[in-house]
Amino acid sequence: MVERSPVLNMVCHAILIAGALMVCVPLYFAFVAGSLTVAEVQKVPLPWLPGGQFFDNLQLAWSKGNFSRTFANSIIVALGITAGKIAVSLLSAFAITYFRFRYRMLAFWLIFMSLMLPIEVRIVPTFEAVANAALPLQWLLETLHIADLWGWISGHEVAIALEWNMVNTYPGLILPLIASATATFLFRQFFLTIPEELCEAARLDGASPLHFFWSILLPLSVPNMVALAIILFLFGWNQYLWPLLFTTDKDMATAVIALKGLIPRSDSEPAWNIAMSGALLTMLPPVLVVLLLQRWFIKGLVDSSK
Amino acid sequence: MGRKVAFIAALFGALALAGPAQARVEVQWWHAMSGVLGDRLNELVEKFNTSQDKYRVVAVAKGNYDEVTNGVIAAYRAKRPPEMVQIAERGYMTMLLSGALVPVQDLVEQKGYKIDFSDFIKPVASFWSYKGRMSAMPFNSSTPIFWYNKDHFQKAGFDKPADTWQELEKQLYAIKSKGISECGTVLPGDFYWSLLENYSAINNQPYGTLANGFDGLGTEFVYNKTKVVSQVARLKKWLDDGVMQIAGQGFSPEQLFTSGRCSTFVNSTASHGNIERNATISWSATFLPHESDINPPLNSTIGGGAIWVMKGHTPERYEAVAAFLDFVAQPETQVWWHGATGYVPATNRAYALARERGYYKDHPTREIAVLQLSRGTPNENSRGFRFGNFVQTMLAQRQEVEAVFAGQKQPQQAMDDAVKRGNEILRQFEKLNAGKTPETERP
Amino acid sequence: MTLRLSIPWRDARAPMLLRRHGGGGSEAVPAATAGSSRRSGKTRRREEAGLKRANFGDGPGLPTLLLLPQLLILLFFFFIPSLRALMQSVLLSDPFGNNVQFVWFDNFKALLASSDYRQSIAVTFWFTVAQNVLTLGSALVLAFATDRIVRGRSAYRTIILLPYAIAPAIAGILWAFLFNPAVGPLAQLLHHFGIAWDPNLNPTDALILVTLAASWKHICYDYIFLVVGLLAVPVSLMEAAAVDGAGPIRRFVSIALPMLGPTIFFLTVMNFIYGFFETFAIIDAVTKGGPAGATNILVYKVFVDGFVNLDLGSSAAQSVLLMSFALLCTLLQFRYFDRKVNYGV
Repeated sequence: MVERSPVLNMVCHAILIAGALMVCVPLYFAFVAGSLTVAEVQKVPLPWLPGGQFFDNLQLAWSKGNFSRTFANSIIVALGITAGKIAVSLLSAFAITYFRFRYRMLAFWLIFMSLMLPIEVRIVPTFEAVANAALPLQWLLETLHIADLWGWISGHEVAIALEWNMVNTYPGLILPLIASATATFLFRQFFLTIPEELCEAARLDGASPLHFFWSILLPLSVPNMVALAIILFLFGWNQYLWPLLFTTDKDMATAVIALKGLIPRSDSEPAWNIAMSGALLTMLPPVLVVLLLQRWFIKGLVDSSK
Repeated sequence: MGRKVAFIAALFGALALAGPAQARVEVQWWHAMSGVLGDRLNELVEKFNTSQDKYRVVAVAKGNYDEVTNGVIAAYRAKRPPEMVQIAERGYMTMLLSGALVPVQDLVEQKGYKIDFSDFIKPVASFWSYKGRMSAMPFNSSTPIFWYNKDHFQKAGFDKPADTWQELEKQLYAIKSKGISECGTVLPGDFYWSLLENYSAINNQPYGTLANGFDGLGTEFVYNKTKVVSQVARLKKWLDDGVMQIAGQGFSPEQLFTSGRCSTFVNSTASHGNIERNATISWSATFLPHESDINPPLNSTIGGGAIWVMKGHTPERYEAVAAFLDFVAQPETQVWWHGATGYVPATNRAYALARERGYYKDHPTREIAVLQLSRGTPNENSRGFRFGNFVQTMLAQRQEVEAVFAGQKQPQQAMDDAVKRGNEILRQFEKLNAGKTPETERP
Repeated sequence: MTLRLSIPWRDARAPMLLRRHGGGGSEAVPAATAGSSRRSGKTRRREEAGLKRANFGDGPGLPTLLLLPQLLILLFFFFIPSLRALMQSVLLSDPFGNNVQFVWFDNFKALLASSDYRQSIAVTFWFTVAQNVLTLGSALVLAFATDRIVRGRSAYRTIILLPYAIAPAIAGILWAFLFNPAVGPLAQLLHHFGIAWDPNLNPTDALILVTLAASWKHICYDYIFLVVGLLAVPVSLMEAAAVDGAGPIRRFVSIALPMLGPTIFFLTVMNFIYGFFETFAIIDAVTKGGPAGATNILVYKVFVDGFVNLDLGSSAAQSVLLMSFALLCTLLQFRYFDRKVNYGV
């Protein structure tokens, strides 16, 4: 603090309180609506104070949203995205920063191109591709007339149908969301800051590249990994469009998609109270992550060396 | 040419040979029914499965109509389509010319079932058939009817809603001005279907050239030159005067009616189940109104879905499909489905059966849709709609109507623009399908 | 969301890296290390950009193995789909793929000629600009306030960070509910003050509503970067300015803000990307692109044309245009930052 200025401090507090209120008002009303009965929630105007149905509604939302199943799905998907992305990114960052090989720059640019292209942009072709990811191979087989060839050799008429249908599967929900380069670049940047002496020393000791990776790079990367993991977990948990398109089986839906099913539509009663309880439930895990791991979350971003 | 060996190799090593024939032949049916309707559909399938022991139909709910369509397209492209799929009426031309289907009438006749296709009620039959042959099995057919709050009308001194738009307007304004309800009617979510398309049919207005597309792909929209323009202007006026409300996201039009907030509501006859369950008011229903200078009004047209049969399956599976379709067409099945859901019976025989049993004495409003659909002789304005990319043209039209509601455009301008955009979309469909005739080959 | 992770890191770590390297130069300039290795490269033989000086040499076997998972995933879920989009964009095809015509650039021509697409571009532009101004403006004010106070700082920060954890879909649902003209409490409040609020009918109201919801969800992101950036402004500089008689706001504007320049530029790009691509769920939950196409942003249109209208050619053409745009953004930002870094060191 450079100087004292009580008035300005008051103003600053007022600004921050206003900001905090802005964040809290929608959440507060979600809570209020979530604590009312169906009849009360339809009243105009909506009561400003909560009612007594909060826990009943939570329970009902939990069962209606199939949350015991969909929460598990969301956790699997979010953790899968987190672990998968960190793993492939670490490996490829290691490869492009610590090895000299002919197509290094090519690999770099291939990965680089995917940097800012979220799945939403190429949603239709991705859906098609992943609905049957084996289709390219199938084309290859058809172009090469392998079936005919085999039929000619064996005397049987053969139909080869390659199928790798990932609709309603965990890989189908996870893998397409791993396909972007962001984390790779992050680790690349980090590796570039690591003192050259470490690698030189490791080489002098005769350590293999993988040993160096495992015993030196990886431990050094832990703070970055943790911080990144938090952000990726939130990213995975909060996915909407992809699971919306890619799960047709209710048992494979994620929590956010299950919540969408709780939102009143034309052919159901306007149970906004249940929908809001469901919304609170669905946002609870990521909010807890931010609250409890906030130190890591900000630490990773801000001051890992302070 | 030798034995045909088919094998499917999953990429991760699992190799499955087509196993020995199962005890029952199993076929899949992807559908779009949710909630109460979904439960009823499952009951229907269960009835079929227990009625015989050779076949088993597996009903798979794949979300709403759009999601089912996308699912089936993806599955077809991945060469794993289901045997049967339920597609909404608006997708008729896309399905018909897709080259991915087996025509239903050909299939059941080839398999030796004798379904009397001439017995289907006319708007249903003409909608789902091409050149007199049924392309898909009519399954859930509905039509919009006029729902109203009995108390509101009585309080305002009316027996029931008037037959004409002109008189109805006076009634709704009276109800509002007497303070009986703050909202005379609520704009239905699918107003393009009930208040523009069906409006055109009932009031004998052409919607497109070439008999609304029945006579060829060269059809063009013409509703910018008909009473549709004044209909849009009327809706806009009601909206401005507070006689009509829009429910908006998260609050359905039906709720505004069933909670007693709005006095009337134009909606599908299929909402009988929901309205019976949710309404806290004393309600009834009647025919859609018509213009005072159009007398007699023509029939309305259908909405809903039909069962399409996908190509690429084995003969024994098609046996199962044909058996199921035959089951669906039975008058008994039709009557049961009609009573369970509110959809109309698709055949005259089923309708007669329901009447005979006195069903409509207890449920008078359930008969309205059938009567409205089958009144008079359908002409080229009321037979139905045969437009390619009909979802896309509809969304463009809805956008233009919303521009009127928002006060951005005059009704005439908006309908001109909607027709222009719609015709571009139709030309694209024509270009793609030029010279194509639908599937006629046998499975 | 994916996108956010890339450069922020580089930026946010600026203080740390500089300190670790003995920290010369302006601290607010994001320090990427590509620069530092390049610098040292002048003294070395065969130095390659982005390669450690101490590396494991030339064998192509191991790095290939290491890169394989990433490249395979990119191949299946990025390159093949992108290639398909490119192919599909010059085709006219029925959704089942049985009837396909090659139409050159007709899909693109039709798009550029269509008033609908132009409207969508305009809507996207206004939406992203408004969202950007609102988000960055609020975040700056909040960050300034946070920087000034000591007591309660972490409590405020915690609360303001919360929306980061909330799914855009949920944020959309909350706001749609609050401002629903029939039941929403805040809509009631507006009506109470005589404002005829109706986002179902009025395009401007709808655009305001989605902008508010989108900004609400994103302010926390800009905020945390600005708070971090302000921490990096040297106290000595501020003190010197204070001695010269500059007040707190003056100092913020004339010293802190210029130093935050790169961060603000970076945040602006990220806000645009967020508005362009990541607000799909908000639009879907709040307005579904309506009324009268008033909130039909480009990404939403890609989805509707592809999955509802089944107009695959047009949808693919739109995807290609969007992808080119995103690629352009990436390159611009990358170039800009690289240059910045070179100036910085």
